[in-house]
Amino acid sequence: MAGFLVFDGVSKSFGTVRAADGVSLSIERGEFFSLLGPSGCGKTTLLRILAGFERPDEGRVLLDGEDITALPPNRRKVNTVFQSYALFPHLSVRENVAFGLRVARRPKAEIESEVDRMLALVQMEDQGAKRPDQLSGGQRQRVAIARALINHPQVLLLDEPLAALDLKLRQRMAIELDRIHDEVGITFLFVTHDQGESMSLSDRIAVMKEGRIEQIGTPAEVYEAPRSSFVAAFIGDTNFLEGHVSEVVDGEYIRLAITGFGDVLCFNDAQRQPGMPVYLSVRPEKIRISREAPPADARHNVFPCRVEDVVYLGTHTRFWVSVGGRRIAVFQQQGRFLLDERPIRWNEDAWISWHADDGFMLERFSEADGALTGTGVDDGEVGGDADAGDGADG
Amino acid sequence: MTSGQPAPEERRRLNEWLLTAPSLLWLAVLVLVPTAIVFVIAFKPPDIDGGIGAGWTVATLRSLARSSYARIAWRTLYLSFLTTAGCMLLAVPTGYFIARVDRAWRQSLLLLVVIPFWTSFLIRIFAWKVLLHPDGPVKAALAWLGLVPPNAGLLYNAGAVLLVMIYTSLPFAILPVYAAAEKLDYTLVEAARDLGATPLGAFFRVFVPGISRGLVAATLLVFIPSLGSYIIPDLVGSPSSEMLGNVIAQRVFVERNLPHASALAAVLTVAVLAPMLAVLLLRRNGEVGAAQSRGPL
Amino acid sequence: MRRSRFPLLVTVAVLLFFYLPILVLVVNSFNASRFGTTWQGWTLHWYARLTTERDIWDALRLTLEIAFVSTAASVVLGTTAALALHRFSSRVQRFHSALISVPLVMPEILMGISLLLFFAAIGLDLGLLTVILAHVTFSLSYVALVVLGRLEGFDDSLLEAARDLGAGRWYTARRVLLPLLAPGIAAGGLLAFTLSVDDFVITFFVAGPGTTTLPIRIYSMIKHGSPPLINALSTLLLLVTFLAVWLSQRLATRRT
Repeated sequence: MAGFLVFDGVSKSFGTVRAADGVSLSIERGEFFSLLGPSGCGKTTLLRILAGFERPDEGRVLLDGEDITALPPNRRKVNTVFQSYALFPHLSVRENVAFGLRVARRPKAEIESEVDRMLALVQMEDQGAKRPDQLSGGQRQRVAIARALINHPQVLLLDEPLAALDLKLRQRMAIELDRIHDEVGITFLFVTHDQGESMSLSDRIAVMKEGRIEQIGTPAEVYEAPRSSFVAAFIGDTNFLEGHVSEVVDGEYIRLAITGFGDVLCFNDAQRQPGMPVYLSVRPEKIRISREAPPADARHNVFPCRVEDVVYLGTHTRFWVSVGGRRIAVFQQQGRFLLDERPIRWNEDAWISWHADDGFMLERFSEADGALTGTGVDDGEVGGDADAGDGADG
Repeated sequence: MTSGQPAPEERRRLNEWLLTAPSLLWLAVLVLVPTAIVFVIAFKPPDIDGGIGAGWTVATLRSLARSSYARIAWRTLYLSFLTTAGCMLLAVPTGYFIARVDRAWRQSLLLLVVIPFWTSFLIRIFAWKVLLHPDGPVKAALAWLGLVPPNAGLLYNAGAVLLVMIYTSLPFAILPVYAAAEKLDYTLVEAARDLGATPLGAFFRVFVPGISRGLVAATLLVFIPSLGSYIIPDLVGSPSSEMLGNVIAQRVFVERNLPHASALAAVLTVAVLAPMLAVLLLRRNGEVGAAQSRGPL
Repeated sequence: MRRSRFPLLVTVAVLLFFYLPILVLVVNSFNASRFGTTWQGWTLHWYARLTTERDIWDALRLTLEIAFVSTAASVVLGTTAALALHRFSSRVQRFHSALISVPLVMPEILMGISLLLFFAAIGLDLGLLTVILAHVTFSLSYVALVVLGRLEGFDDSLLEAARDLGAGRWYTARRVLLPLLAPGIAAGGLLAFTLSVDDFVITFFVAGPGTTTLPIRIYSMIKHGSPPLINALSTLLLLVTFLAVWLSQRLATRRT
């Protein structure tokens, strides 16, 4: 496998738990790459294998063409920003940042100027004399980043670095990370369970589940074209429909017979043939809802429905409607001043519609990710919300 | 590090041995071997110079079956038991109190409990000798209150031994109870009250089981050393309140009969091992909290 | 249980119980009476007598020498033991852990007599060396216990961070582990020192005729009279203890 940073068939078990199962992955130089998944999916295990704290049972890790699988952690050109930051409590900020260079026995003058440069990079210039226990969470994280980057690693590993911060700080630090990545230009490997973070920061994302990679792609690819129900449900929300292909319509589109709905038109992405079973994912924000039936359109799927739940959220409104016994979620953005119109209410009849291009067929479907009634969890949550795990996973 | 390094598994094994060997070997040589020797010497005859004779014999062990030894062994057991009971009765409320008090007070209280322990053991016992002396203040106070007859002897009897044993063992009971009580989640006790338990009921159903690990540690830390008490019965006791420890010391220093002392020590060792093994077996069956820490106790 | 005053009362009673004999000692050290059972006037006579008792100062010096040597050795052995127990969890460590527990619960008289017999069996004369060996044997476990307690709360990711930044195992141990473990090791050492200074039973069994430590001297003083001197000596020792405790508290709080 070509690529700057390569995992080649990496497997690792802890007792009976298979934390990583034949993972193969190729990351480009300078990429901001995320490993995204719920607790226990194996992302931290891969990170630790790359850092050198775990040995894979099978497979290799290659960095810039060199097999580093057997190298101890202190000999790899890889540095880690730990989830707890792991700043040395008995050393000052400057001493913490200088640690790697002191180990490498660089000359004193060089160390001093590099530390200055790094502190400036993370905007902590005047905090050099402080101890870690005198710093806030965000400041500690910056020191941890500076301490890692000063060694000019080829890859910077970040283990859920934003998990310990509160929301506003998290948003600010995410922007900081982005800026630092742009300035420094090295490869970042970012591990998180927060899909929002990984979507906003990454060049590419690898979605993981139970030790395996479900899908790799850019944020847009992973969102718009999920290949499995897990990915579709883990990132954002979605509706799941199932049925089979009934006919191919002028090459580009196929007609599906969807249980409970009838005929649904969909873009034919993969040469599907009549008779093949199909699972369809339609994101709620791609569905339009209106009180009157929309004009008929060859490319639109239109269905009457009954509104069962309405949640008004200011920027948008969430509807749960039922079509043929199936529960469908619809997110409608408020484009216009709402008070001028009569809003669609609970228990009313309405119409939903979506364009044939907006549905996406999945390669793999699992009941665990979302029931085929159309939504994920019974209490009205659509798809499976991104797992709000507390970070630590195997 | 060159490519000639041993594989990490082997290196790890080597590091483990490097760290473990010093203390392991030291204790094996200076604790296990001597203990084994105690059992061995029990089978040897004494020689006239106060040393160990040649050959083997079971006469020493047989002589242990004498009734006087049985009495002493029994006394040792029940005095230790009473000491433990007394200490637990005092330690549980004290440990509970210190664990519940404000943090600011906790450290000071713990210090107050521990400081006497920092003073010389012998001196503390000596102080009780003075206190309990027939002409001493305690006797005077109690006689004045009419609680004891004027010629009563508070010293040189089993009561004095028991009192001083409780005195010296109490810190060892309070600290483990406190440590366990401090870690306990008191909302459990409140939940029990909320569900209708009386204060005493909540105490026995929730608090006591909750600190069971501390209770077991406290019991062991008091009972086992008490079995081997020597100085206390020696200084504040009398021949009628002799314990096994006394007799062993006598055989060694007064009668110079090492095999005899050995035999008695062997009996004491067995008596000490019994409660420890019991706890070990209980722990393995998950009764007294599964092994959470890898350290001793 | 919040309302009940019972725990408070018991605690106060216990504390009074603890300090009553100590108070008596201190008071009596200034008591002109020979036997200390009645008050006969204030005096510093016994303290003055103390300064001329050469035996006591010799015993004290010997006790301190033994304490320093045995503390140094038991700190090294106890710390390595704690590190092994913390890092590894093999069957060897389980045996190791059990072995470490033994001196903690073994009655002193058993340890005393077994060591006496052991030294006799290997032909080692009783004296300074045997006392030091004995002291290390019982202190080691206490040091291990204290250091292990500190290790259990230790953030292992700090060590990983050091390795991640390029440090080898030895550098990490030297520059990260030991500095952070130092307070725990010091606490263990202090405990070992105290145990050594105060030990009587085991020392009595393994000390030779010429090795008179302070506790041994005190024991003979108790058995053979001169109680007022003991009072004065005890008070002085108490003072030293209080100072030491106060000092260690100051050091402990300064670190945090």
